[in-house]
Amino acid sequence: MSPAPLLQLRRLVKNYGGVRALRGVDFDLHAGEVHALLGENGAGKSTLIKVVTGAHAPNEGTITIAGEPVSGLTPTSARALGIACIYQQPALFPDLTVAENIGLRLETASATRRVDWKARRERAATLLARIGAAISPDAEVRALSMPEQQLVEIACALGAGARIVIMDEPTASLTQKEQHLLFAVVRELSKSGVGVIYISHRLEEIFDLADRVTVLRDGESVGTHPVGAMNEASLIRLMVGREVAQIYPPSESAAGEVVLALRAVGCAASGVRDVTLEVRAGEILGLAGLVGAGRTELARVLFGLTPADAGDIMLNGRSIALRSPQDAVAHGIAYVPEDRRRHGVVLEMPIAHNMTMAIHRRLFIGAWLRFGAERSLALEFIRDLAVKCAGPDAPGGSLSGGNQQKVSLARWLATKPKLLILDEPTQGVDVGAKSEIHKIVRRLAKEGLGVILISSDLPEVIGMSDRIGVMGGGTLRAILPAKSDPHAVMAAALGTTEKGAA
Amino acid sequence: MNATGKRDWNALLLRHEMLLLYVLVAEWLFFYFAGTTTNRRGVIVGFGTLDRQFDILRHSCEIGLLALALTPVILTAGIDLSVGSLLGLCAILFGKFWHDGGLSIPVAAALALGCGAIGGGLNAALITTLRLPPLIVTLGTYSLFRGLAEAITHGAITYTDFPESFLFLGQERWLGLPTQAWLFLGVAAAVWVLVHRTTFGRSIRAIGFSPEGARYAGLPVNRRLALVYVLAGLIAALAAIIYTARLGQAKADAGTGYELFAITAVVLGGTSIFGGAGSVHGTLLGVAAIAVLKNGLACLPVVMRMNAAEEMSGLLTGALLLLALTVSVLPKILPTLRPKRHAG
Repeated sequence: MSPAPLLQLRRLVKNYGGVRALRGVDFDLHAGEVHALLGENGAGKSTLIKVVTGAHAPNEGTITIAGEPVSGLTPTSARALGIACIYQQPALFPDLTVAENIGLRLETASATRRVDWKARRERAATLLARIGAAISPDAEVRALSMPEQQLVEIACALGAGARIVIMDEPTASLTQKEQHLLFAVVRELSKSGVGVIYISHRLEEIFDLADRVTVLRDGESVGTHPVGAMNEASLIRLMVGREVAQIYPPSESAAGEVVLALRAVGCAASGVRDVTLEVRAGEILGLAGLVGAGRTELARVLFGLTPADAGDIMLNGRSIALRSPQDAVAHGIAYVPEDRRRHGVVLEMPIAHNMTMAIHRRLFIGAWLRFGAERSLALEFIRDLAVKCAGPDAPGGSLSGGNQQKVSLARWLATKPKLLILDEPTQGVDVGAKSEIHKIVRRLAKEGLGVILISSDLPEVIGMSDRIGVMGGGTLRAILPAKSDPHAVMAAALGTTEKGAA
Repeated sequence: MNATGKRDWNALLLRHEMLLLYVLVAEWLFFYFAGTTTNRRGVIVGFGTLDRQFDILRHSCEIGLLALALTPVILTAGIDLSVGSLLGLCAILFGKFWHDGGLSIPVAAALALGCGAIGGGLNAALITTLRLPPLIVTLGTYSLFRGLAEAITHGAITYTDFPESFLFLGQERWLGLPTQAWLFLGVAAAVWVLVHRTTFGRSIRAIGFSPEGARYAGLPVNRRLALVYVLAGLIAALAAIIYTARLGQAKADAGTGYELFAITAVVLGGTSIFGGAGSVHGTLLGVAAIAVLKNGLACLPVVMRMNAAEEMSGLLTGALLLLALTVSVLPKILPTLRPKRHAG
């Protein structure tokens, strides 16, 4: 009975530099099916979408659309082939009306053509009616809610004759009711013969909506199954799967005094709410969770970038206010940010300048630069952390990712902090530098530093942490002991009730 | 500065500031030979006289001060278009304090400096607290300050008859140099130290390269930015006092268009309009290159015959600026152009 699948991917490989993002993925999508795509952060879901939508070209493998092999896919040709992608954040023009936005996507005539406003509005109204959306074509997109904007995107996709619709975490910012509306539209789409690739971290949605599910892990597909044959535990097992193969330096430190204590800390602006936790001297507290769980947001609260508006922050037993990064630095809180190229190092400035940037007051008494002292401090850190560079005068941008990370780390170690927050310290870092960074972090904890380690790398956060805090929805969901079962961590991050599913 | 191994002399000689120094020397030599003549009585006149050189220095002080004020601003990737207007406003206020307020010259000058700082503070407040872009904020205060100056004088009053002792600052020489040149050099030294030898200079560079990066490093970004604009206002007020002393009168149109000359000098001096990179000595060379060009042209017989010194200097200053910018980006652009040509 099987006609050619709408979309067929075979042995798809995509490398970014030395990183293998996809290592031979097979994937099929049939007409009229909702096919869920699951995987941890960094498992390759986004890369897969980028390849299918023509944004990135694969290094190897074949893409077959409705039986026709295609090569050299570009965003334009992908759209012409009927592939549409609906992102979590709709990419509409907020100041234009719904009809204008749809018109801009679908009308192809030249720039000097006259606009047929009537036809434009009618087309918009028809498309919106087809997906059952009660949105006026004349409404300004700015005034629409997020799900309404997503519906407009879907209308665009339909209008463009999309046969393959990819939805990337469409419900991440939706309420329950809005979700149901969206689900109804998705079901309608699949009934009309459209193939939907549905990406979500919420397992219950997948059971609700999808026909089949494919799990990606480390850039490989570890299996496609009918949803009916799976349960939450088996899905989590597929997602986590691998052994904690890497060797992590053992914990040698006994936890000391409480360095940092949070009592019901919240920040409405960044969505952090009701976080209560303690970090002790000499302890590494891991923070696990999915992207958007609120971990970086919590770090930003603790570093004074988005000050807390609720709860109590206590450092060494004293309640403190953190209104700005300067406050945080003055109190001995250091934050090695996630985006090192934008926040961690100033790429144009020499390594030495980068390393002393947070200790101007202490090193340069009377605001007078002391180049000799700066240089010897930089040389010391370069040797200590084994930074591979041409010298302290080399610009930060000339270093590899791992070495930039070390410079960023050195800047904060120079402040002699009491609490060190590391945000994804090994993301995009090669294996060698990664294990070096692990050793450094372990050594720092041994020397009595309180460390908060934010990481989306499950083996890392489990292997490195003395305790593992799991965040989700802006709050702390659970605190698990060291060497917890990865399935339990993943289950807590996903917010499912089956703790310790395996 | 210490045992870093051998210096890379090639790189040093090719630095923007060095290139600009070559241009300046070439310019100066050209005008020295082409713009100096002997008149009928056998007296040397034109560019090659010491008087003319001092004149150049005297006339560069106000724009030079504004360029010094703008260097830290542009290093933060900001801009201040209001310095010329603030110069006019402070000149008027200074004249009014002295003439109508009956204050002594030093007190009036101190108050005028205070007003300059307040004017800069207004820019600073709008830029740091409301997060408005500096270009727009200072475009607004550019009109505001000039408008205030004209409102105070009703567009007609000119304060004159300043005492001799005050005019000494603008029209005489002290220890061999035009008096105001000492002030100018003093401010230049102070700004140089501030930019090149203090943590303040270091942090404004970081802000210029990456404001977010500076914030994540715990640097007080808003405080530094505020100080930069207040300093610019203060220096603009100082330029206003020197301007008044040189001309012996305070008018509402004082310093009109000076901000553009000052920005030209800063950019010509190698400070990146995108922030972070640049130097105070580069700015000084930029000021000198423009001043020598402008005055030298006025000494050339050809130009004198055509009576086109103003036009020529505008034209050549523009050409010099564009040439300098082109040369400074060539090393970055060339490698990206070559492969394209092969591909095409």
